[in-house]
Amino acid sequence: MAMLSFEKKYRVRGGTLLGGDLFDFWVGPFYVGFFGVTAVFFAILGTALLAYGASLGDTWNIWRINIAPPDLKYGLGFAPLKEGGIWQLVTICALGAFCSWALRQAEIARKLGCGLHVPFAFSAAIFAYFSLVVVRPILMGAWGHGFPYGILSHLDWVSNTGYQYLHFHYNPAHMIAVTFFFTNCLALALHSALVLSALNPGKGQVVKAPEHENTYFRDIIGYSIGTLGIHRLGLFLAMSASFWSAVCIIISGPFWTRGWPEWWGWWLNLPIWK
Amino acid sequence: MSSLGIRPLALGIVAVVGVFLAVPMVLGFQKPFIESVQHGPRGVAMGVVYNDETLVTNAAANKIPGYLPQLPPVGPKASAIYKNVQVLGDLSVGQFTRTMASITQWVAPTQGCNYCHNPANMADDGKYTKVVARRMLQMTQNINQNWQPHVAATGVTCYTCHRGLNIPANVWVDTSTGPGTDTGMGFAAMTPGKNAPSAAAGLASLPSDPYTPYLEKAETIRVIGNTALATDNHASIKQTDWTYALMMHMSNALGVNCTYCHNTRAMADWSQSPPQRVTAWYGIRMVREMNVGYMDGLAGVFPEYRKGPLGDVQKVNCTTCHQGVYKPLYGVSMAKDFPELQKVSSANGGPRLP
Amino acid sequence: MSEYLNIFTRVQVRGHYEVGTPLPGRDNAERTNNPPIFEYWMGKLGDAQIGPVYLGTLGVASAVCFMIAFEIIGLNMWASVHWSPMQFLRQLPWLALEPPAPKYGLHFPPLSEGGWWLMAGFFLTTSILLWWLRIYRRAIALGLGTHTAWAFAAPIWLYLVLGFFRPLLMGSWSEAVPFGIFPHLDWTAAFSIRYGNLFYNPFHMLSIVFLYGSAVIFAMHGATILAVSRFGGEREVEQSIDRGTAAERAGLIWRWTMGFNASFESFHRWGIWFAVLCPITGGIGILLTGTVVDNWYLWGVKHHIAASYPALWGPVIDPATLPGAAQLGVVK
Repeated sequence: MAMLSFEKKYRVRGGTLLGGDLFDFWVGPFYVGFFGVTAVFFAILGTALLAYGASLGDTWNIWRINIAPPDLKYGLGFAPLKEGGIWQLVTICALGAFCSWALRQAEIARKLGCGLHVPFAFSAAIFAYFSLVVVRPILMGAWGHGFPYGILSHLDWVSNTGYQYLHFHYNPAHMIAVTFFFTNCLALALHSALVLSALNPGKGQVVKAPEHENTYFRDIIGYSIGTLGIHRLGLFLAMSASFWSAVCIIISGPFWTRGWPEWWGWWLNLPIWK
Repeated sequence: MSSLGIRPLALGIVAVVGVFLAVPMVLGFQKPFIESVQHGPRGVAMGVVYNDETLVTNAAANKIPGYLPQLPPVGPKASAIYKNVQVLGDLSVGQFTRTMASITQWVAPTQGCNYCHNPANMADDGKYTKVVARRMLQMTQNINQNWQPHVAATGVTCYTCHRGLNIPANVWVDTSTGPGTDTGMGFAAMTPGKNAPSAAAGLASLPSDPYTPYLEKAETIRVIGNTALATDNHASIKQTDWTYALMMHMSNALGVNCTYCHNTRAMADWSQSPPQRVTAWYGIRMVREMNVGYMDGLAGVFPEYRKGPLGDVQKVNCTTCHQGVYKPLYGVSMAKDFPELQKVSSANGGPRLP
Repeated sequence: MSEYLNIFTRVQVRGHYEVGTPLPGRDNAERTNNPPIFEYWMGKLGDAQIGPVYLGTLGVASAVCFMIAFEIIGLNMWASVHWSPMQFLRQLPWLALEPPAPKYGLHFPPLSEGGWWLMAGFFLTTSILLWWLRIYRRAIALGLGTHTAWAFAAPIWLYLVLGFFRPLLMGSWSEAVPFGIFPHLDWTAAFSIRYGNLFYNPFHMLSIVFLYGSAVIFAMHGATILAVSRFGGEREVEQSIDRGTAAERAGLIWRWTMGFNASFESFHRWGIWFAVLCPITGGIGILLTGTVVDNWYLWGVKHHIAASYPALWGPVIDPATLPGAAQLGVVK
């Protein structure tokens, strides 16, 4: 069995949310659990459906495969399999797999006596996906507003959806989301670099402790958030990026149908300027 | 801590400002419930999205008015009875009177005949409005006869633009440069026609006057290259801003978005564009001809107070007719009941340089 | 089944004000130790101590250059609204300091027509490069690796590509980004339109992958460390060298989830590479745009990546190619 030297003592029973001891075992390095089984079920079914959808298309070129949602005329009903029904089933499978994965992460955290931060973090990503393919389509009255499953086709969807609002960069929630994404990227670079710089100080130098890390950041920017705080900050930045991405697409359509620059009229027309 | 006294005050200010901003911001959004119309293959997100309330408002604002029924071409011709009838002389007197009454209803419902006519001598060209009206009749005939690729069989009448107003609600004058807009800031940086809220471009900071270069002059609109690798397309980013502003104007004028005419993955590619893009292409040329061939030519006729700060006449753009709707008056044809507006009927009725 | 989950600091212990690792020579004097500031609300998230900051020649020079650039940009924006304080606030997001017109190429234009932009760019760039030197030298002084400086060099690369390298290759300052909130967004949109859809630029694709990837990585990492913080997981340097139960559990979380785990040290190598590759690949994508590739969509077609969609309407042809098109709307 692929087990790390210290791993055996951690492999204990219990901590499951569902299924009791039934699936409480490992396969190779993987923990299974009830939600491992459901995750695999949904993943295999979803992938098979994608493959079936691709076989109906005219290409096996990975960049060009496109599994599109139904026409808008089907509204919030089921569409025939070959006219968007596959997309609907794949969406159900994807959500099933993602949620299973999050619950499996929760079981693993419980088994290891750790906090539930990992499934909590992953739920932000699931929420963004759920917003794109469920919340917004429901608010707009048709599954056809979901994005297609294809590498380039989903980019075409992003392009057209953006230009449906003439200039998407003026979407305030999009601005916030992009800011969080960029800040997260910078913070990750700085945090990773700082830890590596303490651990790899160069030839002839001793490894440095967090006191040096703190001093370095106080020296260069006047503040060091600390070893614990940086991970709270990172988690906050990353989840915020995901959350505001979800907000920015949910408001596009349901709560605003015109060009996003025009939304800023409320600011230009504040009574204070009169 | 020293900041203890300041903190409640600071928090209070932040809270007040926050509420002050948050309320208008939240009210700035639209209430949910929308209608969407697919305008391309499924899953590509080509289509228009309308808020339900906007649709109700637009439907009310774009109803056609009732108008007089058509009359048979019997009796003497207008040119035989009245003097100085240059455009509509072939109509019978009855038909002629109906047209005049309709124009009054469409353009000067409160002022009546005297808005254009000298009541003492109806044939007198003394009022500038009469001269303008004659030219506008010729323009309407020209549009309906020669611009079917844009107006189709629906055609236009005076009402399409005027909607009961002396001057259509949406006209423009050149404000891009000139006495009123010179910053007068010495060597401070000029912001050439952009970087302020642009009404033309739906409040983006894009150029504020895309009309002069594209809807009067015939500057190049196309900036996207048609080869994969760089060859000899030198269009700049700045130039693209101007094209973008024009496209924003067109979208807002029609109450549509970019995907109404483009598959935006390949904006330039006609083979992927909906046919509406062709209609729009003719529309740009039609508006140019209206502005240069008709409006500019009236520069000597309009009084100064009808002109812009640079002394140019008021001109038309896409909003002048469309008024926020994809087809003016939702495509209901009034022109079909006014055959006298369908054909150029006077020798000098075509567009001409001012 | 209430359970302690580390979200914010519940009990703050306040020690003395940390002045920082002592350094030889006059370096200690460059640190602003007075007054010692603690901020309770910062302490909820991380360290409550604010400062001290290290001034130093490079730091002061960088700050001065930044202020000059900031003033040039701000005053020009203010001038553009006729020095009206009200309109300055109202229109601030729309205002900009604009690069020169294309006709000036790489020449120095008059101040009012892009000269100020060039000057602001010069001082901002100088400020950033001095700051880079400063963080490089601080690392050396403290006996740390220079990883942070190199991580910071990645966004500087992107910045220089946008404002310097690409305009240089294109032979025109006008290609660069204006200084302004909405105007730089207009620039970004116009850039994508002009060059036939940036989504088809493979380096843009990579850059987005690394941007989203960085969010995933930092969410995974932040969450993992917080999840094992009850075992001291935030002591990453110590646990890297002398593995404790926190590092073991953190590793097993991912090994059991996805069959693979990084170590406490190697995780930060994943992090730094994802984070720096975002601006590095992005910069390459920008640099190739207009210099090598003119239409990214057509580039995608050429390389067989564009999806095909059913035709829903008859052939639409460019009316400009029809006979007589050039004369349409041209009044003779």
